[in-house]
Amino acid sequence: VEPPDMDSSGEDINGMVEKDDAPKGPSGQKETSTADMLRIKQQMSNQCFEMEVYLNAGKNRRSCSTSEAERDYSDHISELERVKTLQFNQTLALHRMQMWHAMGEKIKTNDPEADALKVVNQRCMALCCRIKQIQQETRLLQDEITELQKKRLEMKRLTHEKMKEMEDLMSRKEHPDTEKYKAALEKGQTNLEKYKKMSIMAQNVLRGLLLACKINWLDDPKLRDVAMTLEEFPITD
Amino acid sequence: MSRLNPFAKLPGLNTASVLLVESEEHFQQSLAEALVEETSVTVNVRLAKSFPLPIENDESRPRIDLVVFIINLTSELSFQSAEASLKYLEPGYFLGKVCFMVTNARSSSVPAERLDAVRRLAASLHCPLLFAEEQTPEGVTNAAERLLTILKAAAGFVPFTTPLYLSNLTRCTLPPDIDQPSFD
Repeated sequence: VEPPDMDSSGEDINGMVEKDDAPKGPSGQKETSTADMLRIKQQMSNQCFEMEVYLNAGKNRRSCSTSEAERDYSDHISELERVKTLQFNQTLALHRMQMWHAMGEKIKTNDPEADALKVVNQRCMALCCRIKQIQQETRLLQDEITELQKKRLEMKRLTHEKMKEMEDLMSRKEHPDTEKYKAALEKGQTNLEKYKKMSIMAQNVLRGLLLACKINWLDDPKLRDVAMTLEEFPITD
Repeated sequence: MSRLNPFAKLPGLNTASVLLVESEEHFQQSLAEALVEETSVTVNVRLAKSFPLPIENDESRPRIDLVVFIINLTSELSFQSAEASLKYLEPGYFLGKVCFMVTNARSSSVPAERLDAVRRLAASLHCPLLFAEEQTPEGVTNAAERLLTILKAAAGFVPFTTPLYLSNLTRCTLPPDIDQPSFD
């Protein structure tokens, strides 16, 4: 690594760093292979293209605003990408065609390499058939799975509906039944109260009678039973 | 005022030349050493503090394929020096032959406005903006690798790609909320 050159006035330094064992170019011992030469050629053609573009850049001048320029720029970029993709795909297709043609030619020659190629071809075809089979099976299984899922969803939906119905019914049933029930209950209760009062009154009257007339109820068994029941009801109001 | 012209000289065969401009002259050395490790092409690295470059070296200087401005975000001087150097470059350089590299972006002493200013500068010039970590050897190697990708395209080593096309893909863009106040 060479030390940077120091300007005599101590101003901006412009130094150079270079690897000691770097290949030195045409005067060096390193031989450039064909691949290297192709690469260098491509590099040079790239550079020339760039310079050409730069030279031609000044020719089509027109004045426009920055925003217009930006828009044009992005339009051009998309167009460039579109064309690049197209070219790439077409090159791929071309290479595919070339490959197939070369393979076809090779197989026609009937030498041991061609036989090996044929064997590989057969294997590829067998594998492709197998792949197709498996893909079909996968499709069938997938369809079955989808069917099952649909059924399950349907079941879920039905269950949901039934549950809703049940809830509805339950909430509805309480209402009319409790109403009737309530009415009947109330009616029954008022009746009960009424009869209760009547019986209490009757009992009070009977008690009064027994006491007032000093009737001897102990001796008569029937009268004694009746008198005993008088004790059960409390004397109300 | 002599400007650096990208097309004034012939390109070198199987060679790529890069000029690292850094006003602090700190990162350039280690980056340069990492860059010359590349074996498939010959990489010429030239170091400079700022523009204008000394006239004495004009003859011996090869054609520069890529100019890299290394900006240390912790120093305002670094940014200003880089900005001032821009006018010494021919406009042809800004079609993909200029790159900005920023160091110390994670440092807490960096004001957010400076990074925004660097971003705006890179975006307005349609140049890529790289972030580098200079303190570890891995950081230096990573930065060198990324720089080499751009350098190879700038020197014409990538088929069907011109530096202008690559710069369109790698150019710095401004986040839409750059004018809004940041977190802190």
